[in-house]
Amino acid sequence: MRRKHTIPTYLAFGWLAVSAFLAVFGSFLPVDSYQTIHGDFIDSPPFTSGHWFGVDSNGYDIFSGIVNGARLSIFVALVSVGIGGLIGSVLGITAAYYRGKFDTVVSTGFNVVLSVPNLVLALALVAVLATNVDINEAVPTWRRLTTLVISLTVVIIPILGRIARAATLAWSGREFVVAARSMGMRDRHIIVRHIVPNVLPALIAVGFLAVGVVIIAEASLSLLGVGIPDGASWGGMIARGRNDLEYNPHALYFPIIVLALTVISTNHIGDVLRGGLDRREGRL
Amino acid sequence: MRAAYYLQRSAQLLIVVFCVTFGCSLLLQLIPVSPAEILLPVGSPEERALLTSEIGLDRGPIGYYIKWLGEFVRGDFGDIYYSGGREAVSSRLAVAFPRSMWLMIYTQVLALAIAIPLGVWSAYRVGRRTDRVISNVLFALSSVPSFAIALVLVLLVGVRWQLLPTLDYQPYSSGIWEHFKHMIMPVVSLSVGLIASYTRLLRADMIATLREDYITMAASKGLSDRRILWRHAFRPSSVTLFTSAALNMGGLIGGAIVIETIFATYGVGFEVFAAISGRQYIALQSIVGLISIFYVLFNLIVDVAAGYVDPRTRDRRINA
Repeated sequence: MRRKHTIPTYLAFGWLAVSAFLAVFGSFLPVDSYQTIHGDFIDSPPFTSGHWFGVDSNGYDIFSGIVNGARLSIFVALVSVGIGGLIGSVLGITAAYYRGKFDTVVSTGFNVVLSVPNLVLALALVAVLATNVDINEAVPTWRRLTTLVISLTVVIIPILGRIARAATLAWSGREFVVAARSMGMRDRHIIVRHIVPNVLPALIAVGFLAVGVVIIAEASLSLLGVGIPDGASWGGMIARGRNDLEYNPHALYFPIIVLALTVISTNHIGDVLRGGLDRREGRL
Repeated sequence: MRAAYYLQRSAQLLIVVFCVTFGCSLLLQLIPVSPAEILLPVGSPEERALLTSEIGLDRGPIGYYIKWLGEFVRGDFGDIYYSGGREAVSSRLAVAFPRSMWLMIYTQVLALAIAIPLGVWSAYRVGRRTDRVISNVLFALSSVPSFAIALVLVLLVGVRWQLLPTLDYQPYSSGIWEHFKHMIMPVVSLSVGLIASYTRLLRADMIATLREDYITMAASKGLSDRRILWRHAFRPSSVTLFTSAALNMGGLIGGAIVIETIFATYGVGFEVFAAISGRQYIALQSIVGLISIFYVLFNLIVDVAAGYVDPRTRDRRINA
């Protein structure tokens, strides 16, 4: 009766598979490094032979920028959602399972972080963590990358933590949990065997949405000049393309389109997964 | 009973404001360099020592926070330091705040004005082609980040067609059209995502409401569909919508950093960014404190207002 997989879902999975492929194998593909300067092709429009997506006013090939930018954009998104999701769900699940004071502290903590707009929080953390002892010395790229990931992780923790807490609250009152407890099962086992498998689907669904949030946040930070420098990510390319949008709009369009497609895909998959959950809950 | 509930809720929200500002001041202590050194790059050690004690950094984390809080409550948000002088944060905010306020109000009005009819209509036609088209288009739009829309607008409307100015803000006093001309693009780029999320919220709640018995009852009395939709179904369905709208207000006032930077609106979001990139940590702490107060305030207003919009939630909330 209901179609489980529709064409948009396949497209979304396909697009994410392509991006993931680029992220992992992008550097092995026969594509120039994104830092190669093609002096003869400066300002070439799209569909120039050899440069499908054109070349920007610095001589950087946009196609190779997109292929290579996937690596950092997706790496940053996956790592911060992964770590943030892990910390958030451990906090959320234990808080909701044990309740009491610990729960009050954790949920207040989530509320505190959530009351500051995402970008303000990430910006402030980047600013504080990336300050050198000698303030005039430039911060190395790897340190900017780590601070970026840490800041975005902090943004993700309460988003996923709250979901984990709410789902655990709903499940820990169920009969089978009460039964397990009355049989003398240890809390740790109940959580791992009975709570986590039930909470996980909701977390994965929201995790996909969180990946979209992080990709957008990373691009916003790049636009503000505190992201990964030198156009090494999609956001960095947008930031660079913004500088000559009057003469080279394609340097802006292509990374924007790629970024938007990725976020649409993650949001769509997150949505489909969540819809599936509602149906499962509905049948109970 | 209800008064006690709101009191408890206010206390909870106050705690949030305390934690946010205290966390901010702890972050300040985490910087490996003394803030005085950052704020006075060319000052002598005596001048720096004077500044450190003026800010209260020599009193330890707690002492510093108490001093800051005392001044903050009295409306002294600290100073912004630059080479050769200083400026009160409050005087900067006096300029920036109205800009963000207008931006936020226009964005919300535009988003709600489009989302409410769309949401009601697509819930009324649920499953039909119009509903599917509206839902899918909005879904795709909601995934496009606001800065992408802003940059495309700047490119097409501002640069190609030269219809609207791409930078700056004009107050009402320089003419209503001047004022709006500078607001259209930032407001549109901020609203697109909100329209999508508001429509989805309203549609979902409307669909649930339209299945209720009293709707069938109203229909069997022979009331017109239009009357049922707007008079009977809309009000109880709008609680989630308005909650979400109110919660967005705090974020729109301080969080529209990228949009305010792209269009040079220079509102509160831009002040946050300027404070961070200029390492004005005291200013940052005060502004973030203010933003969180707004968030908390709108939160409280939502709680109270939801009780009036849908009286059934009053008891539900108290019992919950």
